[in-house]
Amino acid sequence: MDQRLTPAQEIEVQDVSKVFPTKEGDVVALKDLSFSLSEGVFLVIVGASGCGKSTLLNLIAGFTRPTSGKIFLRGEEVTGVTPQCGMIFQQYALFPWKTVQDNVEFGLKMKRIPKKERSEIAAEFIDLVGLRGFENSYPKALSGGMKQRVSIARALANDPEVMLLDEPFAALDAMTRQVLQEQLARIYEKHKKTIIFITHSIDEALLLSSRIIIMTARPGTIAQDLVNDLPYPRNASVQLSDHYTRLKKDIWNTVQAEVLKSMEVEAD
Amino acid sequence: MKDKKGKGLLYAYISVASFVFFMLIWEIFCRLGFIEPIFLPAPSLIVLRAVKMVDQGTLFVHVLASTRRVMVGFMVSSLVAIPFGIFLGSSRKFKAVFDPLISLLRPLPSMSWIPISLLWLGITETQKYSIVFMGSFAPSLLYIIEATRGIDPILISAAQNLGASRWDVMREVILPGALPQIIAGLKVMLGIAWTCIISAELVAAEEGLGFLIMNAKEYFQTDTIFLGMLLISLTVIVIDVTFRMIEGKILPWTRD
Repeated sequence: MDQRLTPAQEIEVQDVSKVFPTKEGDVVALKDLSFSLSEGVFLVIVGASGCGKSTLLNLIAGFTRPTSGKIFLRGEEVTGVTPQCGMIFQQYALFPWKTVQDNVEFGLKMKRIPKKERSEIAAEFIDLVGLRGFENSYPKALSGGMKQRVSIARALANDPEVMLLDEPFAALDAMTRQVLQEQLARIYEKHKKTIIFITHSIDEALLLSSRIIIMTARPGTIAQDLVNDLPYPRNASVQLSDHYTRLKKDIWNTVQAEVLKSMEVEAD
Repeated sequence: MKDKKGKGLLYAYISVASFVFFMLIWEIFCRLGFIEPIFLPAPSLIVLRAVKMVDQGTLFVHVLASTRRVMVGFMVSSLVAIPFGIFLGSSRKFKAVFDPLISLLRPLPSMSWIPISLLWLGITETQKYSIVFMGSFAPSLLYIIEATRGIDPILISAAQNLGASRWDVMREVILPGALPQIIAGLKVMLGIAWTCIISAELVAAEEGLGFLIMNAKEYFQTDTIFLGMLLISLTVIVIDVTFRMIEGKILPWTRD
C-alpha cells in the first residue's frame, strides 16, 4: 500500500494526552494535542516551564507512551524508542568513557557498520561541528558548548529522519549559545532534516524556526501555531526589522498570558 | 604546580621521619629491658628473623601461598559477581528472585564458613579458595548492583535512542558506566579477602602468613609473629598500589 498518496507527513500527533499519576492526584501534562509536521520543517516549540514540552518530545522519541492518542512517524505508529528520531538532550548525555570519536560512532556501531566506514562517517560530522583535533579527547575535557556539538554530531552521524532537541542550549553562556545557534542553522540549511526544537527563548525560536508552536500552561495544548517567514540568513538586519519585532510582540503576548496563567495555577 | 609538588615531598619527609622516630622509640624501649622480648621483640630482632627466613627460603613460600589463595578466590568471586551483579542491577525481577538468598548470605562472616568448608573440602587449597570466595562474593555483588543502579538513566536513554538493544546497553553503557564504582568496591573487597584468608590459615593450614603467625605462637617465636603481621600489611599495600596503577589503565577517562 502506498503511504504517500497524501503528501508526506513526517510526524503526526493525534489527540495525544499524557497523564502522570502522583500522590497528590493525576497531573495532566498534555491534553488532546494534535498537529502534523511535514518533511524538512524546523519546528520550534515555545512554552513556559512545566507546559509539557519535554513530555511531548519524549513521546515522539518513544521513551514514554501517550495515555491516549497516537503518534505517527512517516505513517507508522511510534511504539518504542526509535533511532529514526535523533534526540539531543540539554545535559548532553555523552558517554564519559568514550572519546569524541567513539561517541560520534556509537549509533553506527549499533548498526554494525564496519570500523573503517564508521570512522570515516564520524570524522565527517566531527568536522561539520568544528571539532577536528578533539577526536581523542574525553567529554570531561570539553566545555559545555563543545559537548553539545559532539552530541549534535553523534545524532547526525546516525542519519535520523527527525532531530529532536530538548532545550539544547539552555545551559550554555550567551555567546556560546549564539555560535551554536548559527551552526545549527547552517546544518539545517545543508541537511534539511526535519527538526523539533524546544526552548523558552522567543529570540531563539525566531532565529531558527520555519514554524513556531506556542504551548499553553498545563495541561499543555497548542495556544498558537504560526509560520516563521523571516528571510534567511537571519542576521542582525533581519533581527532589527519591523517584521521581526511584530512577530516577537505577537508571540510574547501569547506567552505572557500563558505564563501568568501558570503562575496563578501555582499560587492556588 | 611546582609548589604543590614541593609540599608533597615535604609531607613525605615528615612521614619517613615519624616512621624512623617510632621505630627508634620502640627499639630503645626494648633495649633498655622494660619489656621481655617474648612479649614485644625489638624491631631489630624482627629484621634479623626476616633475614634468617629469607636465607632458609621459607619467607616467600608463606607470602606466595597466601597471595595465591587470595588472588584465586578473589578472581573467581569477581568474575562471577561482575556479570551477575550487572544482570541483577538492571532487572528488578531477577533481583527479587535472588534477594532472599543474598540477604541470608550477606551477614555471614567468612569465619563462619570455615567449619563447613573443612567438612566438605578438607584441609585443601580449594577449601582456602572457597573461604575467600564466600567471604567476598555477597558483598561484591551488592557493590556491583549499587554501581549498576547508579548509572545516569539519561545515558541509557541516549544509547537506546541511537539504536542500542538491551544487550548493547548492558555491554556499552552499564558495564563501562559502572566500572569506576565496581573497581572502587573491589578494592575494598580485596582487603576483606585478605582477612578471610588469614583467618582460614589461622584455623587450618600448612603454609601461608596466617599459618606462620599461628605456628610461631606455639613456639613463642614472638619475632616471627610480628614479622608475619608486618608481611600481611606490606603485601596488602603492594597489591593496593598495583591495583591503583592498573586502575588508571582501565579507566583512562577518569584521569585528570
